[in-house]
Amino acid sequence: MNRFKAIFERDLRKFIRNPLVVAMSVLMPVIYLVILGNSFQGELKRLPVAVVDQDNGPGAEGVMERLSALEAGPRTVEVIKVSSQGFAMEGLREGVFKGVVIIPPGFSRDLARGSLAEIGLFLDNAETIAAATVQSAIARAVSEPGMEFVGIREERAGARLRPIEIYRKIDYDQTLIPGVVIMAIFLGAMTTGAFNIVMDRFLGVEESYFLTPLTKSDIVVGLVASGLLITTIIAVVVLFFSSLISGIYLWRLLTVDGFLLMLAVIVLSTLGLQGLMFVIMGRLNHPRIVGILGGFMNVIFFFPSGAIYPTESFPAWLKAFAVVNPETYSVHALRALMFKGAGFGAVKGDMAFLAVFAVLAVIAGTAAFKREL
Amino acid sequence: MYAIETENLVKKYGRLTALDGVTLNIPEGDCFGLLGPNGAGKTTLIRILTTLIRPTSGMAKVAGFDVLKEKAGVRSAIGVVPQAMTSDLDLTGLEIMDIYARFYGMGKKERRERTDELLSMVGLRERAGDLIATYSGGMRRRLEIARGLVHRPSILILDEPTIGLDPQSRRVVWELLEKFRKGDNLTILLTTHYMEEAEYLSDHVAIIDYGRIVALDTVEGLKKAIPQKDTMELTVSNIDMAKAREAVSAHQSVGSVAVNEGTLIISVDNGANAIPELVDKLRAMNAKVTRVTLKEQTLEDVFIHFTGRPIREEEARKVSFLLGAGVPRQWGK
Repeated sequence: MNRFKAIFERDLRKFIRNPLVVAMSVLMPVIYLVILGNSFQGELKRLPVAVVDQDNGPGAEGVMERLSALEAGPRTVEVIKVSSQGFAMEGLREGVFKGVVIIPPGFSRDLARGSLAEIGLFLDNAETIAAATVQSAIARAVSEPGMEFVGIREERAGARLRPIEIYRKIDYDQTLIPGVVIMAIFLGAMTTGAFNIVMDRFLGVEESYFLTPLTKSDIVVGLVASGLLITTIIAVVVLFFSSLISGIYLWRLLTVDGFLLMLAVIVLSTLGLQGLMFVIMGRLNHPRIVGILGGFMNVIFFFPSGAIYPTESFPAWLKAFAVVNPETYSVHALRALMFKGAGFGAVKGDMAFLAVFAVLAVIAGTAAFKREL
Repeated sequence: MYAIETENLVKKYGRLTALDGVTLNIPEGDCFGLLGPNGAGKTTLIRILTTLIRPTSGMAKVAGFDVLKEKAGVRSAIGVVPQAMTSDLDLTGLEIMDIYARFYGMGKKERRERTDELLSMVGLRERAGDLIATYSGGMRRRLEIARGLVHRPSILILDEPTIGLDPQSRRVVWELLEKFRKGDNLTILLTTHYMEEAEYLSDHVAIIDYGRIVALDTVEGLKKAIPQKDTMELTVSNIDMAKAREAVSAHQSVGSVAVNEGTLIISVDNGANAIPELVDKLRAMNAKVTRVTLKEQTLEDVFIHFTGRPIREEEARKVSFLLGAGVPRQWGK
């Protein structure tokens, strides 16, 4: 026990003596939240669309009015009236416009006669998400009452959808918080625990530890325990700052039980990743390889976890990976506890998976660790 | 009872044989020097004796414990100062000593007393609270010697203890080792490729080359075993050179004498003692001795005699072309 505590204490002291690492471990996930939350918003806005009115009739004016309403209301598009079709198309190719609406000559006449009146819509489909948004916004605008003969309209009749959100209003950046906390855990697990073994090996320091009566489990458990403490603290700090920045103020929403359950999810997630790092890094001896592996592993664990995009929409092979990815369960549990006010019953499956994964990972990590040169 | 015993110890890395049947018996209380060039197998032998690597075959016992079957016993009995500086730079000297003492299960009071005693002895008490990153190379080496002794081991093993140190720091380390040896009745095994270090510290010296022990004796015994003697050059005038040669040759410790113009080149045993006698003898014959030089026989001569060449440089370690050094060690071998 004394030996294990000595390893634990040594690691904590070394970590604290590197304040830049401490600061970066907290800052990086928070910056990720700020950048991703603001650049990759839920709904796209202010997409520039050029409108070329070659009709100049009352029908065209009606279309213009609806487009202006779209611009003023949900602000999906920004309408720029252009006189030359050639200029508009040039702008589309150059990426200045995301779409070009052409109201052809005779549009008002066709509309007045009750025959099919068509407008043209050119889209920059090199940017698929923006193109789809422009198309649906324009289609919605021109298919409203009074425009029933406009050709772009896709549905002539249908029930109006009125979405009812079952939880309080959650902004996009707030939905990223579980993912950001998991990212903090991942980074913590990368830079503590097994990473110290790699650094000791790189610096030639491990030899002196192997010369003492320390056992394999003294070393692994000591490092995992210090990594667990450091990472848990970092994750809670990141959770606090993420809540503050995104304005969700979790401390007002969470009960003590909810917070303790979140803490348990964080601890189990950390333990699993710490063990996994020992399996992967237990025999490496150069920090550069860890750097490359870190980026690689972050991609394969983070993105298929459902932190950014729902796992249900993944292709079958990726969905299969998501099922065995511990971060999937961490994100799911944290989201339920954070936004849905869920209790233990709702997250017990996630916690069971994380607990089993953690135990297996630590056992495998200890087995993989080589206590000889 | 031997402190360290090995029998036919072999270590192979693929086709490379690092140790090729090493048999050694080091008595308790001895200071044993293992002399050899870089890459001769010294570190491999030390790593087997300290349980860091396993031998391919053969037997080794340290303090009576088998290095394969009784690793815990070996680790508790030895203190080791590895070749590389192995103290964490972001800890203080005091913290390192305390943490290592805890690895050996020492109690708080005992730790404090022993740490204080050792840090005073190695002259680091005033700097004990400073980060090791601020220490010089010599200070770090002294700290590592103290660290190796924190649990009062019966055997201290040092792998190239003064490599990379300036001559002054090297001398300080030698004096420290002398002091600890006398105080704690330690058995010391040290490897070195510095001749003067082996000569200064060791009771017995083994010369190791290409993984084999090629000679083993006291320093004096090794010197006696080789035909080379000290070489003295006497530049004389005012005397017939043939007579001078005859007079010098008659001295009991002189082997052979050659004449090069006005200089006598004399092969002699224990040249330093023979100088005054030979100079007096020549002066008695009215000769004028204008210059005396003496090249004493060294362990280097012994080494060259047994290995057929001077100390050579280590062969470069092979590493993976694709992955550099960032791979498990055995892949890079």
